[in-house]
Amino acid sequence: MSDYIRRLPVYLLIDCSGSMHGEKIEAVKQGIRTLVSELKGDPQALETAYISVITFASAARQEAPLTELMLFREPELKASGATMFGRAVEVLIDCMNTEIRHSTQTQKGDWRPLVFILTDGSPSDAEDFKVNASRLKAMKAANIVACAAGADAKTEYLKMLTDNVLMMNSLTAGDFAQFFAWVSGSVRMTSKSIEAKPGELMLPPPPHGFQIVP
Amino acid sequence: MSEIAEAVLADGSKLQYVVTSNPPRGGMKYTYFAPDKSYVVQFFNDPKMGQDAKMRDRIAAIIGKYNPTVSEENGGAMGNTEQLAEYFADKYCWPTGIVVSPEFGIVSPAYPPKFFFDANSSLVSGLDLRGRDKKSNWFTSRNRKYLDPRELGNFMLMLKVCISLARSIRRMHAAGLAHSDLSNNNVLIDPKTGSCVVIDIDSLVVPELYPPEVAGTRGYIAPEVLATMEYPYGDPRRSLPCIETDLHSLAVLIYEFLLTRHPLNGPKHFPGMSAEEEDQRLMGSDAVFIEDPNDTSNRPDDLKVTIHDLGPYLEELFIRAFVDGLHSPKLRPTAMDWERGLLRTWDLLYPCDDPQCKAKMFVMYDADHPVCPFCGKKVSASEIVKFRLKKELRGKRGQWMQYGELVVYNNMPLFPWHVYSNIFADEKASREMQAYVVKQNGRWLLINQRIKGLRSASGDLIPPGKALLLRNNESFLLSDMPNGNLVETVMIP
Repeated sequence: MSDYIRRLPVYLLIDCSGSMHGEKIEAVKQGIRTLVSELKGDPQALETAYISVITFASAARQEAPLTELMLFREPELKASGATMFGRAVEVLIDCMNTEIRHSTQTQKGDWRPLVFILTDGSPSDAEDFKVNASRLKAMKAANIVACAAGADAKTEYLKMLTDNVLMMNSLTAGDFAQFFAWVSGSVRMTSKSIEAKPGELMLPPPPHGFQIVP
Repeated sequence: MSEIAEAVLADGSKLQYVVTSNPPRGGMKYTYFAPDKSYVVQFFNDPKMGQDAKMRDRIAAIIGKYNPTVSEENGGAMGNTEQLAEYFADKYCWPTGIVVSPEFGIVSPAYPPKFFFDANSSLVSGLDLRGRDKKSNWFTSRNRKYLDPRELGNFMLMLKVCISLARSIRRMHAAGLAHSDLSNNNVLIDPKTGSCVVIDIDSLVVPELYPPEVAGTRGYIAPEVLATMEYPYGDPRRSLPCIETDLHSLAVLIYEFLLTRHPLNGPKHFPGMSAEEEDQRLMGSDAVFIEDPNDTSNRPDDLKVTIHDLGPYLEELFIRAFVDGLHSPKLRPTAMDWERGLLRTWDLLYPCDDPQCKAKMFVMYDADHPVCPFCGKKVSASEIVKFRLKKELRGKRGQWMQYGELVVYNNMPLFPWHVYSNIFADEKASREMQAYVVKQNGRWLLINQRIKGLRSASGDLIPPGKALLLRNNESFLLSDMPNGNLVETVMIP
């Protein structure tokens, strides 16, 4: 049977630098686990969502290639080292270039990818970051949401990537859980509002205690 | 992380609900459950919506004068009897109350337990479905393979789901209401029991009175709504959700339920276009039915079971819905058309010989070539028996006109709507079995259970408890009471 289902690629870019060590990285791991389990409970998401995890610390790499939910195994995340955020954006661009499908006679092209970025600091490779951020923004190939976790996260860098920047004020395990629950809500498809414009990203309102950075 | 809160309703009564940190959220509202899960309290994502006087007005009307699940006597829809209210009560998740504090919201009953999966529903480890809603695309997509086969029902049960849905929508439309967001998310089904429930009733559209708030859900939005979304709200060129767009969504759902695929999702594509733009075109202005007989541009090359296999009534309805009416909303079949067509198709059901066949039954539309389209097994019976149902022409005694056909099989029940021409198998009809057919030692018998005035071809009265021997080409009166049908038995070798 031909398969005319469009995939919804979801990239998670996770800061795994030293500052994320301990409770925070554990909360992120738990968050990813909950996210996957929540999405599996929604038939639309189960059929369409594909997840990839890209981490950045002293190096950046794709820990899990774009994988359907039923086959997804959460990667073993450890936090230590610097924040090579710019390099991570480059890895993301490369992954999207190789992994995103376009429509053909036998397969439907992927939906515009959703990229969720979580960081608690600022790039150690600021110059690289600026170059890659403007490359990514110019591609207009993805809907990007960046979340600044705590006061040390520099939102001005995130603003170079996307207009959708969230600020998480406190950093309890509950806050991380809320963030990932919100990601799950953003991935699941719901009714279109009458004001919706074609192809426009519709995000649910941010969780309690989060601010939208204007 | 949860605490009990109290909602004050418009009538002053109070209800408790459990506040959780990440409540389930839809496009418009989020949901908290009662401590015992017997009802839900929902608030709007955008609290401004709840402050809108028109919105409050709309919800009050939906709960009151438009409510088919409450009798007129108790403040429900006009003309609604206690019995009809009861019939429809479990067909919709109809809101029951308005919350005024802590903010504007609505109270709805929780859906019955059969619309939630349990611990045994999933076939695969790593997929725990306990407590998840049975959104219809669990059953109509690739996700089917993850479900325990007992959850999947069979073709007859899916037909039953379709009848129930068509009836529920017909009832809403008859009252002038459009659901406006019928979709896989808002229709929960339980194929195991052949039932369905329509939820998210609060976005109902009342023409001229309450305009639509949502455009719909991807895959179920009518082409004209998608094709005109670029125009601002209020622009006369803009098509908005209404009864006719419901009729598109309804046809999509019925097609999905019966054939487990989407009617517009085929190989057609536009090279170089983004997925979003392409989808907008393929579901909107450039939508083509994958089984369009004249335009094969969207036809997959591996269609096995087609609308032709669903028999003449449904084939015609799908052509009207997805060929004639796809871009001409006025030509779409009504919910009543679907209800009738589905019921007539039900009368053509025939059991498949293959015990392994997952469909179990199929539509016997061609007795000369009786093959189950789902598994390919040919019927081995020596003959196919049909009843031609005829009603007496009004004012012309002794003149009979055929108006229905019934394919007969062993242990097939007959209901009041088979016996009397003035009874329609809707929510008002009694579902008491009147008679049944059995095959014994190669002979076909009609066993009368409670029909008054069943007469053999020679006019002998067959009282309840007695059997009538069926013979080829013989006609007998199912009942000699007013509106009783004449039946011609046809046996096709």
